[in-house]
Amino acid sequence: MDFNFTEEQVMLRDGVARYLDRNYDFDARQGLLRSGAAWSKETWSQFAELGVLALPFPEEVGGLGGSAATLVPVAETCGEHLTVEPLAFALALAGGALVAAGDNAGARARLADLASGASVGAFAYDEGRGLAAPAQIAMAATASGDGFTLNGEKRLVFGAAQADFLVVAARAAGKAGDAAGLVLLLVDPKADGVTFTPFRTQDGRSAAHVRFDNVKVAGADVLVRDAHDVIVRLVADAILLLAAEAVGAMSALMRITGAYATTRKQFGVAIGTFQAVAHRLADMKIALARAHATLTYSTALAEAGRLTARDVSVLKAQVGKLGRAIAEAAVQTHGGVGMTDELSVGHYMKRVLAFESMFGAADYHFRMIGQAA
Amino acid sequence: MNIEFGPELESFRREVAEFLDVAPTPAIREAGKKTTSVFAPFEQVMAWHRILHAKGWAAPAWPKEYGGTGWSVEQRYIFAEECRKRELPPLLPNGLQMVGPMLIELGSEEQKRKHLPGILSGEDYWTQGYSEPNAGSDLASLQCSAVADGDDYIINGSKIWTTLAHHSNRMFMLVRTSKTGKKQEGITFLLLDRTDYPGMEIRPIIGLDGFPEQCEVFFDNVRVPQSGRVGAENDGWSVAKHLLKHERGGSAASPAMLHAIARIRETARQTPSPFGGVLADDAVFQRDLGELEADVMSCRHFEQLAISGHPLARDAAYPSVNKTMNSELSQRISIMMTRVSGIETVPQQLEALVVGSNVAPLGDDFDLIAMPYYLNTRATSIYAGSNEVQRDLIARTVLAANR
Repeated sequence: MDFNFTEEQVMLRDGVARYLDRNYDFDARQGLLRSGAAWSKETWSQFAELGVLALPFPEEVGGLGGSAATLVPVAETCGEHLTVEPLAFALALAGGALVAAGDNAGARARLADLASGASVGAFAYDEGRGLAAPAQIAMAATASGDGFTLNGEKRLVFGAAQADFLVVAARAAGKAGDAAGLVLLLVDPKADGVTFTPFRTQDGRSAAHVRFDNVKVAGADVLVRDAHDVIVRLVADAILLLAAEAVGAMSALMRITGAYATTRKQFGVAIGTFQAVAHRLADMKIALARAHATLTYSTALAEAGRLTARDVSVLKAQVGKLGRAIAEAAVQTHGGVGMTDELSVGHYMKRVLAFESMFGAADYHFRMIGQAA
Repeated sequence: MNIEFGPELESFRREVAEFLDVAPTPAIREAGKKTTSVFAPFEQVMAWHRILHAKGWAAPAWPKEYGGTGWSVEQRYIFAEECRKRELPPLLPNGLQMVGPMLIELGSEEQKRKHLPGILSGEDYWTQGYSEPNAGSDLASLQCSAVADGDDYIINGSKIWTTLAHHSNRMFMLVRTSKTGKKQEGITFLLLDRTDYPGMEIRPIIGLDGFPEQCEVFFDNVRVPQSGRVGAENDGWSVAKHLLKHERGGSAASPAMLHAIARIRETARQTPSPFGGVLADDAVFQRDLGELEADVMSCRHFEQLAISGHPLARDAAYPSVNKTMNSELSQRISIMMTRVSGIETVPQQLEALVVGSNVAPLGDDFDLIAMPYYLNTRATSIYAGSNEVQRDLIARTVLAANR
């Protein structure tokens, strides 16, 4: 057994870390958000230059032949820097859907642009208060000609208003809860009937709710029919990368909080010398070790093509639960200053809380694990 | 990354499985099923020890030249995993996992020759004389004294939580040989080659589960040879710390935990839910069992990374993280067992728990052990350095990183 990243992965991660250390510290990030930009175009082109954007895609479409799992160390580093670029959403979800479309010409062209950094895609998936599993997709795609007509709303679509193309997961047949009847469709964000309600997320990303009113999708833009299993796989890849970002954020919280407990003095001594505080630090470290172990092991399972639905549930639930515990402990240890917008601590907290709320919260995944034999 | 043990290890797994399927006697299997502690029923576990010794498998972690198997870390994990799957009683740790490895590293040639063969064969069983009534987590405050007299020491004082001392014929202990300087600097490590020296008295202590697993040992002018000293006089603390490392290091906990979860699920399938159907289909039960299982999976992931030598497990806090995590998980599993067993946990069944007893359990095997296991498992967060002490040690590594 070997759970180490390859030399190439380590080099890429270190390259990304060097760039982010120089250009993406917390102050720079906050400046970027204040400027109103959705994310840093410069950082995205740097990712393109370093090969990050091409890494998870097959070689025959201009990729570097890796997978979402190959990107895990990069995603961890991004999480440590609280980046707002849509790595998991554009690459694992939108990009992954294009790969699943096989030799669809439109998909191939957009994939090449995605991998080179020339364009960005968004994945329209969530509905209502969020989907715990793809089978719950309800938004209707009504057959019309050889294509479909879309009506309804998708919620929390990351990078939607900035995207050059949308991939929409919709229901062509059956009812919410059915695995059968799902499709993945390629939609031009400028098409008639597509409207956006853009917003900034709690953790600094850019997203939008997207309405579809009689939006026509041509037959050539049907990426995947009977798409349930494909969507499950794409969501698993996204969970893996977002979990890696969350674990990166948790590592940063551990480091920052440990440093604070060592330097902050009350009653004449460093607060870390009080046992109540020390034990909270210890619990953070135990939680981080567990989350890190599960992320690393899950990554190895994904690389071996053996990441089951149950494994995904373990990863999603554990990182969500342990992330919340670490974040809350970090804010508590920082006291009043932990409550301020000025400090990074609260922003890391919002990152892990956003992760916990998406793709099924911990309670859902725990129950799935408890249910299965 | 590579998640596989590899084909050679899988064939090793088959070899182990074939042996474990046939070698244990019915009494040994019964003892495994009635194990409600780290310490399995003494007589049967020692019988199993001797069978494994005859096969050459008693000491997986020892080097070959001392009679160990010479197995790799992965092989040892597979062996432990296959044993747990079959609910076989785990061999008692004091000799094989504690004194033995310590002697191999720190003992004199004479001490190794004298003690290792008996540990390996299971002829000797060692009890640990560390804690005292006034020195538990603060072990360095121990007072039991040894005064040099010719070639001997004269020991006075008492030791407590000496596990299975009433079954032991050997004892390793810490004694105070100096009262000057730092308290850690006046401690000496002794091996006692008997537990029936004149002036030595062993009194079993009945535990919460109703069994005398622990003992108190009293020393009244007990004369023992100085040749049993390991390391220099007053240097026993470093020997003890070395040995504690082995006590905390056990890292094949998840197979037994996963087995327990499977048994909980199986029992819940036969248990009616007050909301209709069976407990296994109850949403709250599923959620809670799922969380427990997810935590066991993280523990397993941590173990697998550790045996592969991953940097995460090379952190200075690793033994304490491992001890805290595993002990608290065991306790939660024991709570879940009692939750499923319900009122079946209430009858006290001391006789039925004895291996070979002709008293039948009142419920099934699961009900029989749920409460004694729960009660005994309260000790896991207390022994080997309480979890409060472990958290102090873990926090120290967090704070040290910032000094």
